[in-house]
Amino acid sequence: MIKDGTKEKQLARLLVSGPPLLFLIVFFVAPSLIMILTSFRFPGEFGGLAPVTPPSDKAIGEYGFTSDAYQFFFSDFIYTEIFLKSFAVAFGTTLICLILAYPLAVLIARSRKHLRNLMVLLVILPFASNFLIRIYAWMIILGPESALSHFLNTVLGAFGIAPVTLLFSPFAVLVGMVYVHLPFMVLPLYTNLEKHDLSLLDAAQDLGANAWQRFWRVTWPLSLPGVFSGSALVFIPVLGMFAVPDILGGTGDILIGNLIKDQFLGTRDWPFGSALSIMLTMAVLSIAGLTTWFARSATGQRAI
Amino acid sequence: MKRGNLWLWSAAVLVYAFLYIPLIIVVLYSFNDSRLNAEWVGFTLFWYKALFNNTEMLLAARNSLVIALCASFCATLLGTMSGLAIHRYKLKVLPVLVFTPVAMPEILLGVSILLFFLQVLNFTLGMVSIIIAHTTFCIGFVAIIVRARLQGMDESIFEAARDLGASPWQTFRLVTLPLIMPAVVAGALMSFTLSIDDFVITFFTKGVGEPILPIQIYTMIKVAVTPEVNAISTLLMLLTLVMIIIAARLESNGSSEGNAKPHTAE
Amino acid sequence: MNSPRLLSFLLVSLLTFSAGCTPQDPDAANSGKNVLHLFNWNNYIAPETVARFEKSCKCDLAQDYYADNEEMLAKLAAGATGYDVIVPTGNALDTLIRQGVLSPLDKSLLPNFRNINPAYLDTAFDPGNIYSVPYAYTLSLLGFNKEKIEQLGLPTDSWAIIFEPRYLEKIRGRVTVLDSQRELMAAALKYLGYSANDTDEKHWQEAAGLIVRAKPYWAAFSNTSYIKELAVGNLWVAHGYSNDMFQAALDAQKTGRKFTISYSTPKEGAVLAVDSMVLHKNGKRPDLAHQFINFMLDGKNSAELTNLIGSGNPNLDALQYIQPEIASNKAIFPDLELIARLEMLRDLDRKQRRLLSRLWTEIKLR
Repeated sequence: MIKDGTKEKQLARLLVSGPPLLFLIVFFVAPSLIMILTSFRFPGEFGGLAPVTPPSDKAIGEYGFTSDAYQFFFSDFIYTEIFLKSFAVAFGTTLICLILAYPLAVLIARSRKHLRNLMVLLVILPFASNFLIRIYAWMIILGPESALSHFLNTVLGAFGIAPVTLLFSPFAVLVGMVYVHLPFMVLPLYTNLEKHDLSLLDAAQDLGANAWQRFWRVTWPLSLPGVFSGSALVFIPVLGMFAVPDILGGTGDILIGNLIKDQFLGTRDWPFGSALSIMLTMAVLSIAGLTTWFARSATGQRAI
Repeated sequence: MKRGNLWLWSAAVLVYAFLYIPLIIVVLYSFNDSRLNAEWVGFTLFWYKALFNNTEMLLAARNSLVIALCASFCATLLGTMSGLAIHRYKLKVLPVLVFTPVAMPEILLGVSILLFFLQVLNFTLGMVSIIIAHTTFCIGFVAIIVRARLQGMDESIFEAARDLGASPWQTFRLVTLPLIMPAVVAGALMSFTLSIDDFVITFFTKGVGEPILPIQIYTMIKVAVTPEVNAISTLLMLLTLVMIIIAARLESNGSSEGNAKPHTAE
Repeated sequence: MNSPRLLSFLLVSLLTFSAGCTPQDPDAANSGKNVLHLFNWNNYIAPETVARFEKSCKCDLAQDYYADNEEMLAKLAAGATGYDVIVPTGNALDTLIRQGVLSPLDKSLLPNFRNINPAYLDTAFDPGNIYSVPYAYTLSLLGFNKEKIEQLGLPTDSWAIIFEPRYLEKIRGRVTVLDSQRELMAAALKYLGYSANDTDEKHWQEAAGLIVRAKPYWAAFSNTSYIKELAVGNLWVAHGYSNDMFQAALDAQKTGRKFTISYSTPKEGAVLAVDSMVLHKNGKRPDLAHQFINFMLDGKNSAELTNLIGSGNPNLDALQYIQPEIASNKAIFPDLELIARLEMLRDLDRKQRRLLSRLWTEIKLR
């Protein structure tokens, strides 16, 4: 409303939003566009990419743009299978994280303020340690020489079941994924649960609802937005993760992240690697979109 | 309600145990006088000594520190600006660009920046490429923290400053900045921690010949696991512990009693 | 309270920014000094050799390492520059020559070139050795816990022991194979009677089928951990490299194990991996590079690596310096008859690479 300040205000707006915008356009948008472009190229005969136009002398192989990489993806079900496997692992991880995180989040939300801060800090702290360390810890616990393995195999031996290896197995991958992502589920849940009006629960109790009914018909529906944001925060990173299967998994435990990594740092098939990355991005965007849609429709049914 | 509470408490304790026991084991075995991480043999500082004699590891630590300082500096600067801009102005593009790198799987950012540097810029990968990549995803974290802080503040302060005739720059320098300072510092510390710990993006954007700490650890884990890994893990945990506690302290000190929620990166 | 803290933080980071954020140009740090940049495998040169070279040329040898050819090629493709000498294996050398990134060698600066055994010269991808000089070689073969396998009455001269279920039954969970697309496929192809460089898709499918059938009996795909596992007695058969088997045998002996590790080349043939020294055209010191190559072509220097890790040595002059147990070991120094059964891997073109990658994914997943 102050006319003479408008120019200054516009300048201020430019100065504040400009630099980050510029930086992100150059180092985030442009690389993403390049990746899309690369997925439509041919791989170079001996690595890298084939040029867009053939060189003047001889033309070995093909040049220009192509949907070769995508065709290659669909040429064998195995790649779709790996995608589906990754979805399954992500879903399983999210579910387990939800089950483990929910009671903790409820407890934190219902505690007194000082205790609450401490408890939240205690949840964040493991997250603060290096990601590789958290995976490595499970290498120790699940290793064939560890106490847990010995104990388990003794028990199984008593039942006449052959010894199992815990490490380098799908089980180890799942445990690793859950361990790394658990804090991401706790925090949004707790943030949401904290806002609940506890008098609703009292009212429900007065109306004769038992503990389960109170949870299922009051707490749970109200917590759905938190459930959805927490699930998205777990599901999406797990989809793209390669370090956990790489370190804790066996030879058959490759997920989409491992496949992408191999294309860039092993097979030197950049177009295929980019195509896989684009498909992963599409998957992630759909999940994010679905989550937002579910969250919106879920809050529409809020119990009042 | 009491029985329910007991059930909740035991579930919570189990989850905390699940979270902490693996890390405690890592720390414990760093003092173990045995090459295998299997059973306790005796107390020793041998692995820490071996660590300090490992020149490659020390170089990696130095490189990681430099990268983290540079990246957190840039990210804090750009992230604070983003947080301010998103809160203050009705922007459509910037929020998407700032928050997407945070939400996307890291591998996508790592791979796309790798391609960008190699193909478009023809730029040799090295420390600079890592710093740029780290900055890109840290901006979002800082922006989230700063914006959350701004959202919890009373807008009337800024209006009062404007009514008193302060220019936007003066308002920022004398009113806004001091008020958001705890969030800015928390964001800086968060970026620093994220950068030091980052594995996936560093994996793709690093060059040859310069060891970086998480990559060193990864190589050790894959090739020859010794309790040296435990030792470096323990030291790193200590470092990030200190950082997080400082950040948390600043947050709760700086905020008014109404909104004492610790701001976390999500 | 906050301003001084922020100020000091900014100051510190600014200082570090200016000090540490400049791109690490390897030459800038060493400007004025003589430095040779070597890009080599892990553990592929004896420390004494390095020291002696540095003294003789009055220069510094700066080394960078890689663990496999793909890693080296990927890093070079990622723009890693400034290396003078690289030590690629045959198929990677194939790629580098075709990519045109190597400088021809000046043979007049390499008088020791005559020391090389002609059997290792004039390869299909570098006829006349314009770009490369052999450095060391390994064979990919099978290592055994000798006593255990004898006890079980299993053949030790054929790939059948890792591919045939009737043998695998007896050693289930005690076998590992190399985690390498090319190597494992080559072993399967050789066992089936084809060339290791066969690119017929039908033959590849056959080999893949063989591998998938045998996979349930294998403990793991392993590139390095098998050395320890063999030496400790957890593994009884391992598909691996000759110099690693040498190491395992030595380890088992040193720790006083009741068994010995033996290794031999299967009768169907195997892969010969010859690592050669080449000059990268982006290297800054070709003069030092030639000095280094000539130095390593001297018998005494070349022998040090062989004595250290048990790698094969194509240098005839080196034989006199090599420990007799190593020199007489046919798996490390194959005679002519065995050399005829060995093959060097050629690089694949992009269509073949994609096909192999897909087959490998299926092998891993099924």
